[in-house]
Amino acid sequence: MKLSTLSLLFAILFSTNLFAQENYTISGLVKEASNGETVFGASIFLVGTSVGTLSNEYGFFSITVPEGTYTLVVSFIGYSEQSQKILLDKNLNIDFEITETSEQLDEVVIQSNESERVNIRSPQMSRTKVQISTIKKAPVVLGEVDLIKSIQLLPGVTNNGEGSSGFNVRGGAVDQNLVLLDEAIIYNTSHLLGFFSVFNADAIKDVTLYKGNIPAKYGGRVSSVLDVRQKDGNNQNFSMTGGIGTVSSRIAAEGPIIKDKGSFLVAGRGSYAHLFLKLTEEENSASFYDLNLKANYSLNTNNKLYLSGYFGRDDFNFSGAFENSYGNLSGNMRWNHIFSNRLFSNASLIYSKYDYDLTLNIFLFDWVSSIENFNVKYDLNYYVSDRFKLDFGLSGIYYHFDPGQINPTTEDSAINYMQLDFKKAFESGLYVNAEHKITEKLTAQYGLRYSNFSRLGGQSMTTYENDLPVVYNSELGIYETGTPIGERTYDKGEAIEKFGNFEPRLGMSLQLNDWTSVKAGYSRVAQYIHLLSNTTSVTPLDVWTPSGTYVKPQLANQYALGYFREFSSKELSFEVEGYYKTVDNRIDYIDGSNLIGQNTIETEILNGESRAYGLEFLLRKSEGDFTGWFAYTLSKSEQHTPGGLAGGLGINGGKWYSSAHDRTHDLSITGSYKYNAKWTFGTNFIFQTGRAVTYPNGQYTYENLQIANYGDRNTDRLPAYHRIDISATYKPNRKPDKRWKGEWVFGIYNLYNRKNAASISFGQNRESGANEATRTAIFGIVPSATYNFKF
Amino acid sequence: MNTFKKYSVLVTGFFIISCTEVIDLEVTEAAPRLVIEASLDWNKGTMGNEQNIQLSTSTPYFDSNSIEIVTGATVVVTNMNNGTIFNFVDQNNGNYYTDSFIPIRNDTYKLEVLYNNETYLAEEIMTPVADIEALFQSTENGFDDEVLEVNLRYIDPAGIDNYYLFRLQKEGALLPDLRDMSDEFTDGNSTTLFFELIEDEEINQEAFVAGDKAIIHFYGISKRYFNYIRLLIAQNESGGPFSTIPVPLRGNCTNMTNEDNYAFGYFRASQVVKTTYTFE
Repeated sequence: MKLSTLSLLFAILFSTNLFAQENYTISGLVKEASNGETVFGASIFLVGTSVGTLSNEYGFFSITVPEGTYTLVVSFIGYSEQSQKILLDKNLNIDFEITETSEQLDEVVIQSNESERVNIRSPQMSRTKVQISTIKKAPVVLGEVDLIKSIQLLPGVTNNGEGSSGFNVRGGAVDQNLVLLDEAIIYNTSHLLGFFSVFNADAIKDVTLYKGNIPAKYGGRVSSVLDVRQKDGNNQNFSMTGGIGTVSSRIAAEGPIIKDKGSFLVAGRGSYAHLFLKLTEEENSASFYDLNLKANYSLNTNNKLYLSGYFGRDDFNFSGAFENSYGNLSGNMRWNHIFSNRLFSNASLIYSKYDYDLTLNIFLFDWVSSIENFNVKYDLNYYVSDRFKLDFGLSGIYYHFDPGQINPTTEDSAINYMQLDFKKAFESGLYVNAEHKITEKLTAQYGLRYSNFSRLGGQSMTTYENDLPVVYNSELGIYETGTPIGERTYDKGEAIEKFGNFEPRLGMSLQLNDWTSVKAGYSRVAQYIHLLSNTTSVTPLDVWTPSGTYVKPQLANQYALGYFREFSSKELSFEVEGYYKTVDNRIDYIDGSNLIGQNTIETEILNGESRAYGLEFLLRKSEGDFTGWFAYTLSKSEQHTPGGLAGGLGINGGKWYSSAHDRTHDLSITGSYKYNAKWTFGTNFIFQTGRAVTYPNGQYTYENLQIANYGDRNTDRLPAYHRIDISATYKPNRKPDKRWKGEWVFGIYNLYNRKNAASISFGQNRESGANEATRTAIFGIVPSATYNFKF
Repeated sequence: MNTFKKYSVLVTGFFIISCTEVIDLEVTEAAPRLVIEASLDWNKGTMGNEQNIQLSTSTPYFDSNSIEIVTGATVVVTNMNNGTIFNFVDQNNGNYYTDSFIPIRNDTYKLEVLYNNETYLAEEIMTPVADIEALFQSTENGFDDEVLEVNLRYIDPAGIDNYYLFRLQKEGALLPDLRDMSDEFTDGNSTTLFFELIEDEEINQEAFVAGDKAIIHFYGISKRYFNYIRLLIAQNESGGPFSTIPVPLRGNCTNMTNEDNYAFGYFRASQVVKTTYTFE
């Protein structure tokens, strides 16, 4: 079946070439006039025909049509439409510069919402783009604009509540999201345990989230792709933007290196150290900072180079007893090369790293751990005809895992030096993806990715009796470590284990009329690296591990069906999507698992499966004085971990159980209203079913303590989570020619001071001895004020 | 590892801007189970002949009534190495007592409890413990450099896996503090553990001052018991966002008559050093 897909693909490619002989091509770049930023997702459309395309990530577009006279229209939400008469009797190269419709402080930010018209037709579903300006308008906690919190307002996206890192997409786990910043893998998206995201909105150009129907060019994570791209930098004028807030401040500078040829951007952000904990008498502190860098240079019309980098760090200090520091580091060099007016290419060299360092002065030792990868990618877009576009490419990622190293910090420390085994792996991918307009009404996107993963040698692996690292002790009813019988050493050149997977991707769009379409999608995705976490929320100290002898690659199949309609004014759109997703080889942790300093992870896990299904509604108004959306998701996410070869029924007695991020109802309403030139107001309302948790079902006395007994996994629920936030943005009067532009953003998070439970813990009151349930709520009502500026 | 657990508790302390509040909550009520607290603790340097085993049943989580005692059970411990049988006599108050127990290091003991026509069985090895090398007070070793803590130093026997349990209690305090320790990261080393109390108004806890007494029990424990008590301790301070997902706690007492009706608690056999430190 896979072969026939391929041959069909080449047959189409071949036949279209035959018909394309008398055609001519218009190609070029779409840029923003004021700063030269290339525009991703602008619509380029020939009036009176059904021929149109979208500009790619680097602003490039290409349209091939028969000789003739056309009116070409370039449009992009928030920007004035541009049209141009074109006599097409030869290949043309035209760059378009578009200008924003309204004069706002946000004008430095390119808004990246594709034309709704094309959206109806595009076979891509389960994708959402969020405008950075929308994110900036939404009320935020502590005044800091937060991309990760904003995407949680979308249907199908949640997280584990305040004070937890990462996000969950369609019932998936945090480690199942591929988060890319200028193509570099970001392993931890949070600062200060989820209070802030690592993305500085001043440095971000556009954000795309794929919740399903993931295009073939992406691979490696089964739930979603969050593709975040940094701005290129203004190549017309030098300018600065910044903001001063109650908790953190930021500043960004951008400008031309050589006008029209190259530009740079530098953005920095930092919290006022010690912000939370200094409030108390304890000498504790928590702070973060990050730095974004970007530079680009056009060698000529067909060659452009990009450099980008990110560095972010969090620091915690608990009265000198504990120090903890962690962060992401990434660097990327890219080369855009236009082979012809129909063939665009990009080559990338990417490095990224996540590491942490935990110093426990009190116990006289230091603990470090890291994950590092080198990534080479080559992607091509081939605009075969007005009906057929081909994307293809390949990538290779080399991973190096350091699961942990322990060092005594003093001579008299009781701790011995220990290095857990380094792990190495190589992941490669090869893909081809076609966007094919089969008829005027029916468009398809079909592709295939072949991924390959080698767990590399250079380490030894424990071998177990009967090949079982975990065995069931039927007498005691528990899972235990199997009996080690030896070690097998693998040479550097040797692969410990190899995996290969064909990952077909398919999307179809049937346009019922000018404003309605029905879409269907299927995707199969393999995930080869996994975040080990047996805690309620993932922590910055969790460790990634590659697939190998005992941990198999996760394999997801997702089916989605959607109905899309826009209303006559085109301001309003409505989407419904249903999905069903299964993931094979989802590991879970045996009761009493111990992952800390664990060299043999396989002794703590069992292989299982997970499934998620849901229905998502999104009603969105994207133009006018009032913008916003209403999003509702009804969903279920479950896990099942049988005992398998280890014996026994499995985790939770072999029954299906809710995953920790299962949320039955998830409702988000967000709105922004531009009252006049000076004032804009925003609000969010969020309601979610409480997280699935495990409460005690009994107690008994042991060692003079009251011991709680817990029942089946995740059968209870935290109370429902809900809150309202409001914000007001005030732009003082200013003369149009004045360079300095400022605005005030006032916000109130959690307006009615709801004590949402981040967790409920159970324990004995040490004074009275009585059992108590203690609710921890992170944020009550939080007012904030931020001053943003640009000059 | 204990230290890490403590760390995660401190990370939770990060939520100082957060507010914690005791709330009313309804939880499900599981059917009661037998609880076997069979701790054959052999105080180092004594005969260890007096032993007590407690039986009770579990109760609903928020039930504030005291312990539901179990009487009328038959409790027998057998030394599996030499076949000696020790009958524990029902004291009719939940306690089952003997004064003829003979502890032998590294011998295997079997516990048999007959209750409600069901037989519960468990086995454990009498596990030795290292000596306490030093017991001293300081201010600089704990979390807070300004308050007193007592330090316990022992030398871990090298080359073998050792597991320890510490039971620490300020004299007069309602509840003890349990700490588990393995030599996974400290094999063969001179190891120091501190016991410090941080002032906490909410539970009326004060730091140690001169004249206070700290009661210290230092147990050698088996690997299986270590796994059990480690989880018990972790779950007893559990529930924060970074604690592990709580799970049913299974001890070593199995029900031979009805497998699903296993007992809570544990049958342990440990050598212990008991001492009291008076702060100066």
